[in-house]
Amino acid sequence: MTPPESLTEGDFQRLFASEAEGRLDALVDELLELEKGGSDPELVASLFREAHTIKGGAAVVGMAHVAHVAHALEDLLEEVRRDRRGVDAALIDAVLSGVDAIRTLIPLAVAGEDHEQVAFEAEQRLRLALAGPAAGGDGAPPPVAPAAVASTSAEPSTASPDVAGKAEGAAETAAPAPSSPSSFAQAYPESEPGRGGTAASDALAHAASDDVAPHSETHAELHAEPSRAAATEMLQVPVHRIDDLVRLIGEASAATLRLGSALLERLERDPSTLTEYRDLVRSLNQLQEQALRARMIPVMSLAPRLRRAVRDLAHESGKQVRFETRGEDAEIDRGVLERLADPLLHLVRNAVDHGIETPDERRLHGKPIEGTVRLHAMQLGSEVIIAVSDDGRGIDVARVRDTAGRTDSAALEMDDEAALYLIFRSGLSTATRITGVSGRGVGLDVVRASLNAVRGRVEVRSDPGLGTEFRIAVPITMATLRCLVINSAGQAYAIPLHSVRAVLPPQPSASVGGRPATMVDGRPVPISSLATVLGTGNGAEGPAVVVAGLTRSHAFRVDDLVDQRDVVVKGLGELIPRLPAVAGAGVQPDGGILLVLEAAGLIERARRMDSGDRSLEAAEGTVPEAVTARRAPSILVVDDALTVRELQRSIFENAGYRVKVATNGEEALTEISDERPDLVLTDVQMPRMDGFQLTEAIRGQPALASLPVIILTSRGSDEDRRRGLECGADGYIVKSGFDQSALLSAVERLLGADG
Amino acid sequence: MATLSTHGVAAGDLALLIPVGRDTYAVSLQEVREVVVDPHVTHLPTAPPVVRGIFNLRGDIVPLLDTGLLLGLRPVMEEPYAVLVETAHGVAGLVATDMPMTVRLTESVGHSDMEGTSETYLIDDERLAVALDVAVLLSPARISQ
Repeated sequence: MTPPESLTEGDFQRLFASEAEGRLDALVDELLELEKGGSDPELVASLFREAHTIKGGAAVVGMAHVAHVAHALEDLLEEVRRDRRGVDAALIDAVLSGVDAIRTLIPLAVAGEDHEQVAFEAEQRLRLALAGPAAGGDGAPPPVAPAAVASTSAEPSTASPDVAGKAEGAAETAAPAPSSPSSFAQAYPESEPGRGGTAASDALAHAASDDVAPHSETHAELHAEPSRAAATEMLQVPVHRIDDLVRLIGEASAATLRLGSALLERLERDPSTLTEYRDLVRSLNQLQEQALRARMIPVMSLAPRLRRAVRDLAHESGKQVRFETRGEDAEIDRGVLERLADPLLHLVRNAVDHGIETPDERRLHGKPIEGTVRLHAMQLGSEVIIAVSDDGRGIDVARVRDTAGRTDSAALEMDDEAALYLIFRSGLSTATRITGVSGRGVGLDVVRASLNAVRGRVEVRSDPGLGTEFRIAVPITMATLRCLVINSAGQAYAIPLHSVRAVLPPQPSASVGGRPATMVDGRPVPISSLATVLGTGNGAEGPAVVVAGLTRSHAFRVDDLVDQRDVVVKGLGELIPRLPAVAGAGVQPDGGILLVLEAAGLIERARRMDSGDRSLEAAEGTVPEAVTARRAPSILVVDDALTVRELQRSIFENAGYRVKVATNGEEALTEISDERPDLVLTDVQMPRMDGFQLTEAIRGQPALASLPVIILTSRGSDEDRRRGLECGADGYIVKSGFDQSALLSAVERLLGADG
Repeated sequence: MATLSTHGVAAGDLALLIPVGRDTYAVSLQEVREVVVDPHVTHLPTAPPVVRGIFNLRGDIVPLLDTGLLLGLRPVMEEPYAVLVETAHGVAGLVATDMPMTVRLTESVGHSDMEGTSETYLIDDERLAVALDVAVLLSPARISQ
């Protein structure tokens, strides 16, 4: 490209846009040719050149995001060119998606708009495709074989040094993209559609087969080759072998660290500046993550046992009870689940025995004769929430108080909320008759004790006459967490390695848009001092750790790096409120305590403080309040799962929004016509009218055309995402990967754009 | 321990005295698990000020709470002793600024209207101890404030 000198930057960009258009067309033609004929080296080389040229051009005219996607495209094609990756459907799809992303990004860039998300996603998709089969297969798009991710994702920086050089300022990180969010999305591919609403007889009839099928699939998708044919294959492996694997990976990681310190001591080479060393460490981390994941099983693998208990007990007590399950995609460490089996069994039996009324009693109260006991499971960040609920008579708080008051006079003074929790005390039973199941005064205290053992907690809510819900939150894994240990303001902290993108040597930070930033992988990333963000001290001079949350990265300057360690993370107990920036604490061999930080919470906190720096009114926490004072934006939450609905309600209400809820699309439309909300957040799978249909219905009404809609779902497939966006949703968030701050920022973004 | 009082500790009970600055508080000995001398406390950033930090008790992580701030009084400046009390939400440590001692409480000399406390007792005819209502004082809601 040698345009006349008088052209402006905009002219350059338009010029590039038209050039790129032709090149992209050629690229697609060649690609489809390739798909037909297998790998023709000439064709592959030509494809690679096209991508390379687009990348170069984009970089020249300042379209960084286009350049990034093209770079990823180039890396992928380079793998093919070097015969390290075969041509399969997944590859073709990935390249096409890259082309689409570039086509989307170029006009945006010309218009001066920025769309990092598109670039980020496309790049991730391309990086994931690196891990395809060595030879062609009928490869459906990911799931990706874990080991392959580990070995090939490390390649790009070495494979195309000319390109890697571009990230001059970045000093670092060929890191493809934070591995955990994407791999999470991959790991929880799809939920089981519509199982909640089945009719009672159906539910029972399907029970046995239903419960087995979904998880065998999930497992296959998690661990098998990326081919549909293989997706049904299962391999039974004794658990101890996986445990051995995890242990050996841990030892390999430790040995790598020793190698690193030997390099530093004997050869005076800082291992963190060696690409090869970093690649090795990263691969080991990914390997560890995948091995730990191999120990995960679906929460619902317990369902058959519970269903059986419900059925037997219902028969015994002459009640009609339907058992519903939701959340087939939620997985949890096998060891944790084993310890949940008894507590859950107890809660389910309690629900039938104490909660659900006899048919006569239900009829008398105008309830359906058949009672319902529900088991819902859902992954939320690093926890799994399991709810056992019933639509029975609820807990008689007055009686609980009286019973407890007989031995403890303090109980009589408690308000209802506190008194409700007395049911967890040992020796307390309000059952007026002793049955074979419950009412013996042991049970709920044991439930709580079992949960404590797995660092879980339990909450209970009860509405007289309407039902009771026990909500259990447990960490997904009890296994150790590999962490980077750093010092900040005189205290050591652990940062989980899966959220560490890079470590940058001490360097002065630049300023982007008035905020301090540093370059990572050619992109500006905001930077803060960890001590300032935590409120423990001031600015630091040392290296910076780049931490990746779900949607954004942030660099934190620390005093110095200590080492990498496996930390057994414990919760902070029930008395301390949840601290978004602190995931928990680990007890060190020397008896000291190491605080484990949580990436998403930390980033959110840093961002809030950052905006506080810019304008005094917008100090931490006051932004939502200021909004409230004007008129709090309202959000309509549409989800048929009570747990999810309530959870979202609390998230948004805490953030200062007004929240209304609906349990399906039809109900949502009625709500909207009553009072138009400022934003709709909807689940996909719902009875009567699902989330896609709801979105279409909203978009079908001209008056609602500008109403932002976010689809929140456990279905993470590209297909669904496309469908969601096609039917007019403004955002699409996958539940299994979502965290609170990501959700809030998505909502903030849309509301900001709206008003 | 059937007594007329509706709170944790009452006249006639064995109580542990918790010195906090110039004041003294009392909790029922039955609610006390143990006293830890000079706990090694790790500061917990972003936690409410009433949380002095957390410490390791034989592998368990226990929060240490500022007894003064919990009562709405001045914060303590040091933490030479931690009195571990059992609550419905797990074990928590209360800071004692001097050595806690065990006494048997005599008749109450008056009601204390401070939130989270119940009766006032005369100890050794020379100082007053205010009985703490652990259930009220050590609730997650209060600590979050």
